[in-house]
Amino acid sequence: MPKKVVSIVVFPGSNCDRDLDIAVQKYMNVNTELVWHDDPNIKNQEMIFIPGGFSFGDYLRSGALATKSPAMKEVIRLSKKGVPIIGICNGFQILTECKLLDGALIDNYKRLFICKENFVKIENKNTLFTKNIHKNVVQFPIAHAQGRFYTSEDNLKRLEDNNQIVFKYSSRDGKIKKSENPNGSMNNIAGIINKNKNILGLMPHPERAVNFSEDNDGISFFIGLQNFL
Amino acid sequence: MNLRKLLKMIYRVYINFKKGILDPEAEAIKRTIDSMGYKTIKNISKGKFFDIEISSSKNTLGDLEKISSDLLSNPIIENFKIIKK
Repeated sequence: MPKKVVSIVVFPGSNCDRDLDIAVQKYMNVNTELVWHDDPNIKNQEMIFIPGGFSFGDYLRSGALATKSPAMKEVIRLSKKGVPIIGICNGFQILTECKLLDGALIDNYKRLFICKENFVKIENKNTLFTKNIHKNVVQFPIAHAQGRFYTSEDNLKRLEDNNQIVFKYSSRDGKIKKSENPNGSMNNIAGIINKNKNILGLMPHPERAVNFSEDNDGISFFIGLQNFL
Repeated sequence: MNLRKLLKMIYRVYINFKKGILDPEAEAIKRTIDSMGYKTIKNISKGKFFDIEISSSKNTLGDLEKISSDLLSNPIIENFKIIKK
């Protein structure tokens, strides 16, 4: 049987698309197609990734200009049909700017670019994106300047009540503490899902946690995504 | 002043953070001003503006409102205000 194909949308400034391509092919056992941002057609709709890096210089706000590109218009249309979509880092910012996910990602609390390994607790394992990750706390790199998750108190409560918060920055043993919050995100939020549970956005980079040993946590993240296919 | 300049239609769109959202850049600027010795500065908020020249007055405000809410600002974190220059 031929391998399935998932799409990775590429913008001017994306720089995690190749890492993602390698991780997805190797651990999801699929082929990939890179879709340039001005292509209004996304042929392969098994799953769509929006990678990290930058998009259009991140002018105006991170991810804002990318929301109007032809490929994103198609992503928005397909998202309503239930196509699974994952946005990582800049991809998460783009998905919030498209209003496919709640909230906004703004300047880190200390206004520094943060690049380090962080522990992340999986708050909701009852999603197709996370149910096969065998650990409760994973270690993923983060690399961003605008990663502080913000939303209104009402929306925050709704996200909590609907179990839409999927990842939170935590200690190694899964404690959600202010001291483990790298960027000032509300409630240590590192990743959320939409209400229909087909769109995931996260600031940490699982695609950068697949190289060094067989127990790198990115590997179980991508292997787990085979659920969808 | 020539007629063309007189007839120019320019609108200014101001964008700023909603109340209660911490802006670390404005905070840092405030701390620097404090360190310069000024004692009366209570609070600083930072924003940005766009000057937009238009070619026809048809639907201008409606279009500008849409552009401002749909792209120039993010309503979750920012307010905008449009004035005619």
